[in-house]
Amino acid sequence: MSPDTILVDQLSKTYQVPEREGGFGAAVRSFFKRKYKDVKAVERVSFRIEPGEVVGFLGPNGAGKTTTLKMLSGLLHPTGGRASVLGFTPWERKPEYLRAMTLVMGQRNRLSWDIPAADSFLLNQAIYRIPDDEYKKTYKELNELLELEPLMKKPVRNLSLGERMKCEIAAGLLHRPKVLFLDEPTIGLDITGQARIREFLREYNRLTGATILLTSHYMADVTALCERVIIIDHGQLKYDGGLTDLSRKIAPFKLIGVMLADAATHDLSRYGTEVQNEEDTGKRYIQVRAEDVTRATSEMLSTLPIHDITIADPSIESVIEQAFNQ
Amino acid sequence: MLNIFKRLWQVNWAEQWQYRANLIMYLLYWLVSPIIYLAVWTSIANSKGSVNGFTAGDFVNYYLVLLVADQLTSNIVIHNFAYKIQDGALSSELIRPIHPMLTNTLVNNLAFKALILIGFTPVWLILTLIFKPDFSGVTWQGVLLAIPAMLLGFIVGFLLSAAITSVAFWTTRVYSIHEFYYALILLFSGQFVPLTLMPKLVQDIAQFLPFQLFMYYPVQLILGKLTTPQIIQGFVVGFVWLGLSILFFNFVWSRGVKKYSAVGA
Repeated sequence: MSPDTILVDQLSKTYQVPEREGGFGAAVRSFFKRKYKDVKAVERVSFRIEPGEVVGFLGPNGAGKTTTLKMLSGLLHPTGGRASVLGFTPWERKPEYLRAMTLVMGQRNRLSWDIPAADSFLLNQAIYRIPDDEYKKTYKELNELLELEPLMKKPVRNLSLGERMKCEIAAGLLHRPKVLFLDEPTIGLDITGQARIREFLREYNRLTGATILLTSHYMADVTALCERVIIIDHGQLKYDGGLTDLSRKIAPFKLIGVMLADAATHDLSRYGTEVQNEEDTGKRYIQVRAEDVTRATSEMLSTLPIHDITIADPSIESVIEQAFNQ
Repeated sequence: MLNIFKRLWQVNWAEQWQYRANLIMYLLYWLVSPIIYLAVWTSIANSKGSVNGFTAGDFVNYYLVLLVADQLTSNIVIHNFAYKIQDGALSSELIRPIHPMLTNTLVNNLAFKALILIGFTPVWLILTLIFKPDFSGVTWQGVLLAIPAMLLGFIVGFLLSAAITSVAFWTTRVYSIHEFYYALILLFSGQFVPLTLMPKLVQDIAQFLPFQLFMYYPVQLILGKLTTPQIIQGFVVGFVWLGLSILFFNFVWSRGVKKYSAVGA
């Protein structure tokens, strides 16, 4: 047995998607002969994750993140390659495996909307065969971290999005899974709600040593929780390594922002590549290699009518965006 | 396992209770066609004296018992499961270490049944007051035999519906397949017309099909219309279909679930 908790080897998933042109004639033809197009959602992706790691799984929409998570949690059968989680092949869906992992999807509910969360929790206790004393202990811990008690008696449909998400995550953790697959666990939450869930996940990882693989569109989730990130795009692995190394490897640049007396007239291209910064349109920005920053700034200060100048690291968002575009 | 079923029952009962208005619509839908057949056949029998030996009174007895058998043996798997495959809601059930169909959906159907019986019972009593059936031929032995027969009918029907519903793993048009299946039930279960009034060929086929277990067979058991060899044959056919429907369901489910694409998030 390998020491890795998650082992993914050349994992692939190709969907067959029916293809049809618009119009009546095409509709009739497709009735008799369906055309299919192969869509490679995940293509020969390989990685290993050790016990207790928290790994951010990143990529643009449609990159294959969710498909990979669905394969690892046993929902989807791959079309190629293999994977092993805790020594199990996920899609065999052995009960022992399903009892040892959880999948929380921010856009999907596990809790029944019509009944209070408390009833769904008790159902999970039965399904996962959690002994009473263990259940009470886990519930107490979850309640301390997430303040669930006031939410438990209301029908789930009457909870706010943030309240529901707390209950969803708690419901997914009652059986103390060793592996957590989290797909957009903070989607739609406000800043404090996101911070809360993040704080909780960090604490859960610290207390239980669980392995966590999470996707998120909020980079703050990733920077707060993950030391390591895996980036995929168009179904292919693009990067696997430390979050701090990412900006060094992918984008060893700094951003210099200047506010000029007569902004439009000066040509900045001789100092570096001019880039757009949508958050700050008052300044013009150029991107220069980290080692050229000193030279570029001193040249600019001596030749241009500068009111204000800033030097900053590119945001992690823009670094990752660059990684996607490579 | 017992504990799981207990909790599933609590959750599903509470859920069904939320939709009790919806249940009344189901109940009406369920009652309409047998009552129409009852009305049509009794008026034909009245005008001609009898239909192949079936008097108006015979039709009343037959259909009033059939209403009970239909309530007890039918299921709503297609309505509460197919959409979960199509919109991806099944994902949250598939990651649980219990079989989605044979635990949650089964209990959901039973909770539905229990709740609908509360509405059905007074309606049925009122119908007996209107139609005044003659149940003098009903024996305890017949009723006692009909109970396991209907249980068998429910289980076979549940598994067959579950297998057909699982076709939704391949096609989004599973409802039309189910409509065809439902037409077979209508014809061969004895709902449209008591099977003894069918052409000889149809009767010969029907006695080896599973559909008579849902209505005709238990109804005739209760009314004491079957000979001992017929009773034995009915149970033998029932158990053979139990085995076949288990195999059929397993076959479709195990292949279908590999096709599951967990659409949506």
